[in-house]
Amino acid sequence: MRLNVRFAGSGGQGVILASVLLSKAYGLGENYNIAQTQSYGPEARGGACKAEVVISDEEIDYMKVEDADVFVALNQVGYDKYIDTVKDDAIVLINSTLVESDRPNVYRIQATQRAEDMGKPFVVNIIALGALTRLMPKIHYQTVEEEIKENFNASIAGANLDAYRLGYEILDEDLEKLGYRTGFGKSSRF
Amino acid sequence: MDAKPEKLNEVVLQGNEACAKGALYAGCRFFAGYPITPSTEIIEMMSAEMQKAGGAFIQMEDEIGSACAIIGARWGGSKAMTATSGPGYTLMQEAIGFAAVTETPIVIVNVQRGGPSTGQPTLSSQQDIYQARYGSHGDYGIIVLAPSSVQEMYDFTIRAFELAEQFRTPVILLADEVVGHMREKITIREGQKEIKREKHKYVVSPQADFFQGANSMVEGQLHDEQGRRIGHIASRSGDFINSINRKIRDHVDVISSIDSYCMEDADVAIVAYGSVARPSMNAVKHARGIRDDRLGPKFKIFRDILKRGVNKTLHTDYSHLKVGLVKINTVWPFPEELLKQATERVDTVIVPEMNVGKYTREVERALKDKTVISMPKCGGDIHTPTEILDRILEVTGLEEEER
Repeated sequence: MRLNVRFAGSGGQGVILASVLLSKAYGLGENYNIAQTQSYGPEARGGACKAEVVISDEEIDYMKVEDADVFVALNQVGYDKYIDTVKDDAIVLINSTLVESDRPNVYRIQATQRAEDMGKPFVVNIIALGALTRLMPKIHYQTVEEEIKENFNASIAGANLDAYRLGYEILDEDLEKLGYRTGFGKSSRF
Repeated sequence: MDAKPEKLNEVVLQGNEACAKGALYAGCRFFAGYPITPSTEIIEMMSAEMQKAGGAFIQMEDEIGSACAIIGARWGGSKAMTATSGPGYTLMQEAIGFAAVTETPIVIVNVQRGGPSTGQPTLSSQQDIYQARYGSHGDYGIIVLAPSSVQEMYDFTIRAFELAEQFRTPVILLADEVVGHMREKITIREGQKEIKREKHKYVVSPQADFFQGANSMVEGQLHDEQGRRIGHIASRSGDFINSINRKIRDHVDVISSIDSYCMEDADVAIVAYGSVARPSMNAVKHARGIRDDRLGPKFKIFRDILKRGVNKTLHTDYSHLKVGLVKINTVWPFPEELLKQATERVDTVIVPEMNVGKYTREVERALKDKTVISMPKCGGDIHTPTEILDRILEVTGLEEEER
């Protein structure tokens, strides 16, 4: 089993951090092999940014992603750049505040809008990660939650945990509307 | 040697962080450096951890100072390391020659970026492969290791300290951006490894050996056992130069390390080093039909993905293709004998590398009777498995008929 995940967005949106949390959750929490790589320009903020996670129960040879099984786009530039290298039946999750897509079967989350509503615009990535957790197989809410607690200072861990829960719940509701009765990665929390 | 039972920890680390952890485990207690992408995380971690380990960290004014500082620190008694990328590595060349001639065991990490000059700060390359060997002026021997995974960043850093101490030479850890910035799950050890400090067998100036109770003269000019200048005496100078080259060249068997995969019955071999060995391995597995890339039944909740088709190239069964991989761990000294043995029965060798095709020349020189095909790639991206597999198909003449 090899699952190729790609995140794309702009520098400063937390693309790499989201991928790191996901890889730690799979690598340490669920005992899979992981390889996380990234690609970005010399700018501190702005510029295209891409992060990739390979999750496998075998030893991982090629550490990058050719065609993605899961694609998360946080901005339009990233979406346009990489949408042609996702598999036909990939899971595509977009930040629908900033990304427009005419692709069928796209999961949407108003991540930027929701983060601004919370008064914490920096949690865009964590809201998207919450939504992604709901979609990803073999990963549990608590595992990612623990990684968030471990990776943030206490002062901002709370906001990030709220954002994570929010993202997860929004997608959970959306899926319920679509008629998915049981969640793939649904945790006992809800 | 290790009396203490070691505790193993499983952690997710970035390659650069693993390198710093490995150095601390190997007993590195002095680090001087100047931050430069893509090696900065090594310096960051050293600045945070070195003091806790009871050592010293200093951010120098530049890379020239960094390399000189670690030479001084080693003569002062601490195992020492610095880390940089291409532009800084160029500045260090003078000090590397000085370390070679004074037989100072230091470790220098070069996390390669694209060059020349400032080049591509955030992208990868293997363009410094020759500079790592021949960068400083004059004739000297040097050891260069090329890690291809985060675990190897950790293990090879420890190995670099061992080799440096054993052969009294600078050792280069030639990583690249992909390995340096990648995160993987690895096993690390707690405590500190005891690197043997027996009397150095290979040292040219035994009187100048460390910690033997003798006063030493540290001399950049060619010198005798006492450290006295002999540069004006041609015959003795020649002996000295031969010695610092031969102590490495004559022990290639001790130093060299390669990994072979599927080479037992191979007709075509891929020879790769550093991160490029990873997509090469993937291509070999696909060519052999070893791995089924489709998702397993564990993921049956994920019907969407299960239904997807596999990339046509990768879906075709090429299991009759006899392809193998030779991964070179110690790029210098060139592991000529090991490579000859491993590729004994192949006809064709493909050498993918992230530069204009430099190491291919060494492979050609060693394997004169075989067809050696260079597969250079410039621009900062690592080869994809598909590219390598396509090249294999091209070489074996299958490309047209099967696709």
